[in-house]
Amino acid sequence: MLRQPLCRALALSSPARAVPLASRSYSNPVPAEPEKVEVFINDKPVYVAPGTTVLQAAAQVGVEIPRFCYHERLAVAGNCRMCLVEVERSPKPVAACAMPVMKGMRVKTDSDLTRKAREGVMEFLLVNHPLDCPICDQGGECDLQDQSMAFGSDRSRFTDVHFSGKRAVEDKDIGPLIKTIMTRCIHCTRCIRFASEVAGVDDFGTTGRGTDMQVGTYVEKMLLSELSGNVIDLCPVGALTSKPYSFAARPWETRRIDSVDVLDPLGSNIVVTTRTNEVLRILPRTNEEINEEWLSDKSRFACDGLKRQRLVTPMMTDSRGNLMPVDWEDAIVAAARALRDCPPNKLLAVAGDMADAESLVALKDLVNRLGSENTCTEQYFPLDGAGIDLRSSYLCNTKIANVEDADFVLLIGTNVRFEAPLLNARIRKAYVHKDTDVALIGPKVDLTYDYMHVGDSASVVKISPRGPEGSALLAYTQELACKLQDKLQDKEWKVLNVLQRTASQVAALDLGYQPGVGKALQDGPKVVYLLGADSGVVSRDQLPKDAFVIYQGHHGDAGAAMADVVLPGAAYTEKRATFVNAEGRAQQTLVAVAPPGMAREDWKIIRALSEVIGERLPYDNLDEVRDRLSEISPALVAYGDVQENNYFAQARALAQSLQKPVSGKLDVQLKHLEDFFMTDTISRASPTMAKCIQAVLKQKDSPY
Amino acid sequence: MAAKQAIQVGTKIVKPVLSTNHAEARLRVLSLYKAWYRQIPYIVKEFDIPKSENQCREKLKELFMTNKDVTDIRVIDLLVIKGQMELQESVNMWKQKGHIMAYFKPTEEPKPKGFLSKFFNSNE
Amino acid sequence: MFQVIRRAASLPKTHLLKSAPAFSTCPVRFDNDVYNRKEAPKIDNETVLSLPEEARHNAALESTITVPAKVDLTPISGVPPEHIKSRRVRIYQPAKNAMQSGTNNINHWEMEFDNRQRWENPLMGWTSSGDPLSNMKVQFRNPEEAIEHCEKNGWCWYIDTPKIEKPMKPKSYGVNFSWNRRTRVSTK
Repeated sequence: MLRQPLCRALALSSPARAVPLASRSYSNPVPAEPEKVEVFINDKPVYVAPGTTVLQAAAQVGVEIPRFCYHERLAVAGNCRMCLVEVERSPKPVAACAMPVMKGMRVKTDSDLTRKAREGVMEFLLVNHPLDCPICDQGGECDLQDQSMAFGSDRSRFTDVHFSGKRAVEDKDIGPLIKTIMTRCIHCTRCIRFASEVAGVDDFGTTGRGTDMQVGTYVEKMLLSELSGNVIDLCPVGALTSKPYSFAARPWETRRIDSVDVLDPLGSNIVVTTRTNEVLRILPRTNEEINEEWLSDKSRFACDGLKRQRLVTPMMTDSRGNLMPVDWEDAIVAAARALRDCPPNKLLAVAGDMADAESLVALKDLVNRLGSENTCTEQYFPLDGAGIDLRSSYLCNTKIANVEDADFVLLIGTNVRFEAPLLNARIRKAYVHKDTDVALIGPKVDLTYDYMHVGDSASVVKISPRGPEGSALLAYTQELACKLQDKLQDKEWKVLNVLQRTASQVAALDLGYQPGVGKALQDGPKVVYLLGADSGVVSRDQLPKDAFVIYQGHHGDAGAAMADVVLPGAAYTEKRATFVNAEGRAQQTLVAVAPPGMAREDWKIIRALSEVIGERLPYDNLDEVRDRLSEISPALVAYGDVQENNYFAQARALAQSLQKPVSGKLDVQLKHLEDFFMTDTISRASPTMAKCIQAVLKQKDSPY
Repeated sequence: MAAKQAIQVGTKIVKPVLSTNHAEARLRVLSLYKAWYRQIPYIVKEFDIPKSENQCREKLKELFMTNKDVTDIRVIDLLVIKGQMELQESVNMWKQKGHIMAYFKPTEEPKPKGFLSKFFNSNE
Repeated sequence: MFQVIRRAASLPKTHLLKSAPAFSTCPVRFDNDVYNRKEAPKIDNETVLSLPEEARHNAALESTITVPAKVDLTPISGVPPEHIKSRRVRIYQPAKNAMQSGTNNINHWEMEFDNRQRWENPLMGWTSSGDPLSNMKVQFRNPEEAIEHCEKNGWCWYIDTPKIEKPMKPKSYGVNFSWNRRTRVSTK
C-alpha cells in the first residue's frame, strides 16, 4: 500500500495537505487455514491454530496466566518465568508464554505444582526488589504488587538479616518524561523490546549478567522518541514512572474519564485522570482501530498545559488598548454589536486546530445567518477540482488499522512520525512484521525505519516526472492513486489517503468550511471571529487598521493577544464535544473537569451571542446541536464508526484539468524531534513540553 | 451513540405491592388524601407554620396532582406508602416545623429559565 | 389523633378490605395436599389470630397483577426532576488500566452520569461536589440490564462500545532468532 502524505507547496505560503497512497498486491495466494489443534486448559478443551502459545490458548478460554515479561504487542522474551504452568507428562513446569501448543496437551494452570512454581518465582523476584511500595509511584497499580498478593507466598523465608543488602542499581537519566528507579527493575525487558520494536530507537539494552545485570542506555542518553511515555505503562513495576506525575496522586483517589485526544489528527482514545477538578495525567485507552494501546508523548504529557495560560474570564480592550477582564454580558454585547454592524462580505470566521464540531456548526450557522459565507480553517487544502466536495479526497480512506496490511507505502510530503506518531508506529509495524516497503517523496527525515527516498522534488509525483503546487500536486496524487488502484486485484482497497494535520480539520471540511484563509484575508475583513485560531495564520498586520477581532478559545496565545474581545472557552477535557479524526471517524470527548473560572462550553458562547445579535440559533442543548450536525452529515454523529467513501474516480475526473506542470520542493514543518513537542496552544503552554525540547537540544550537543 | 430504545410495549405479570387492581389503588389514594385533608388544621396549629389551612390544602392537592399520570399500580401503592409515612411523621410530631415548611420551598430561589439567563447566571 | 392514624392505616373502606391494616403480611401459606403432610401444619399465632379480612388480604398479595411492561420509577425514586431531565447516562465497559496487565476487573458494564463541577474544600482540602449523582456508578453484567435500569429511572442513556477486539495471531519465541527478518534487532 502506498501512502503519501502531506505536501507543502512552495508556491503557496499556506501548508498543503498530506496525501498517502496505499496499494496492495495479491502476489501470494492466501494459504489455506491450517487445521486447528485441540488442547486442554484445566480440562477444558479449546481449539487453536498450530503455533499458538499455551498462554494465548489459555486466554481464549478466559484463563489469565500471570506474567511480567510477556506483552501481547511485543516479541516473546520468556525471561521472567512468572507464567510457568504444569503440563501433563512434562517433567518440569513450562513457560506458557513461549511454549507452542501441541496436540492433546493438557495444561493445568491452577495445580499445586503451578502454584509452587509461581510462589518460587515471586520469592526470587522479591529478594532483590526494594520494599518501598509506600513511596513508590506505581503503588496501587503495580503488577508486582498485584501478583505477589495473588500468587506470592504468604510468609517470608528471607531470614538472612545479616545479608549485606539488596541489589542496588544506579538510576539513569533518560530525559524529562521518564523517571527511573532502577533498583526496582525486575529485568522483564519490556521497555527494551518496546523501544527497539515499536518506537524504533535501539538505545535501550542490558549490560552485565546475573546480579550485575542492568537495564539502561549504557552511556547517559535521553530516550529520543515521540512514543517514549509508553514504557511507563509497560513497566510492570515502579522502575520507570512518569516524571511530571511523580508523587502527585494514588490511583484510588482519582477519577478516570474516558475521552479522546485532540493534539494530533488521529483522535487517540485516552483516559483522563482527575482529582479536585484538575487533570493529573492522561493514559492511553485501548482502541484497536486507532491507537492500539499506545499514546504519543505530546498527547500524554501536554496535559499540564491545560492549567497554564488559560483564559478564565471574558476580556475587552480598554481605551489604552489593554485587555481588561469584564462580565460575560459586556463581552457578549460588544461582540454582538460588532458582528451585527459588520457588512456581510466583510465578516470572516476562522476556526483553529482544536475546534469541536458543535462549535464549528454553531459558528457557521451564525455567520451564514448574518449573510456571510466566509468561514475558513487555518490549515490549507487545495480547493480546485473536486476539492473538498468529495469526502474521499481529504480523508485517510484506508483507515489507520489497515495500514498494517499494505504491501507498499508511499509517503508524499509528510513526516508521519511527528504529524501522526501512532500512524507511523503502524507503518513501522507493517515494515517489521509484514515486510512492507516504504518510499518517501519529500525532505529526508528519520522515520525510525528504512525507506526509499525518491527525492524531494514535487515533480516526482507525476508519474513521468514533471512537478507541485497545492492543487496540481493533489491532482497528480489522485491520478497516481487511481492508476494504482486500477491495477489492484482487491477492488475494495483504497489507495489514496490524505493525512490532515489537526483534529478539527475533517469536521470543519465536512461542515463546509473553506480550507485556508488566503483569499478571505485579502478582502480586508472588518470583523474577524477567531474560534481557537492560534497558529498565526491571521495576524494584526494582515488586517485593516480598524478591524475588530473577536477571539474565542481556551488559551491566551497568538489569537487572544490580537483580539478586541476575548471569550473564554473550554479545552477538550472540559466539554462533551465531537471530533472527527483523519479517517473521518467521529468520536466524542467527555467532561473530565469543569471549565476554569467563567469559561463556558464553546457552542454555548456562540449560541448566546446569536441570541443577543437577534439571529437566535435554533438549538438550546447539546442534543439539539447534534441533531443539527446529523442533518448536515450523519457521519458526524456516528460515534466510533467510519463511513465508507469511494468517489476516487469522480475526483480524478474533476482533477484532470489541473494537471499542469508543477515544480518546487516538498517540505514539511516538523522535521526533528524538537519540532514535535510544541505545535498547538496546549502544548505551547506546557512546561513539560518545554523541558522536552531543551532536553532534546541538549542531547544533540552530547557526543553520544 | 445508540439511539434511545423503542418504548417497550405490552404488559407483564408481577406480584402486587398492596392493591390488586386500579379501583383498589384509587381508593387507597383517596383515603390517604382524605386523611391528610383532615389532619391539615392540626398541622397548621401544632407546628405553628405561617400558612393558612387553605394554602396547605392547595399544596396538598398540588403534591397529589404531580403524580396524577402514574398508572402502574405498584408505583401508586409505593407512593401511598410514602405518603402514609409522611403523614405519620407529621401526626406524631416526629417532624419539625422546618420539615413541614419544606413542602413550600420557602428558601429556594427560582432557577434561571431561558438559554441566555442560564448562560449569564450559572456556569452551565 | 390516634384515631386519624388508625383511619389512615386502614385505608379504603371497601367490603374487601374493611379494617384491614394496609401493610401486614403473612408469610405462611396453607397447603391443601393432605398426602404430602407429615405432621400437623405449623401455624404461627399471627395467622391464627388474624382477622378474616386480613387473611383475605394476605391471600390477595400472593396473587399476581398485570402491569405495563415499561416501569417508570421517577415518581418514587426521589431523584430531583432536573437531574432526570437534563442529564445523560453513559453505559460503557470500563477501560483496562494501561499501567496494569490484569483484566479481571473490567469484564462488566457500568453506567455513569456526566461529570459536573468539583472543587477543593478550602477547610480540609477534600473534594466537594454539588452533584448528588456523581458517585452513581452501577455495575451490570451486560448492557441490556444497564439500559433497562436507565429506562426504569427515566434517564437518557447512550452506549459506548469499546473497540478492543483484535484478531489473534500466534506468537512465537522462535522469531527472535530468525536471521534475515526485520524483527531481528541488534539490542536485547
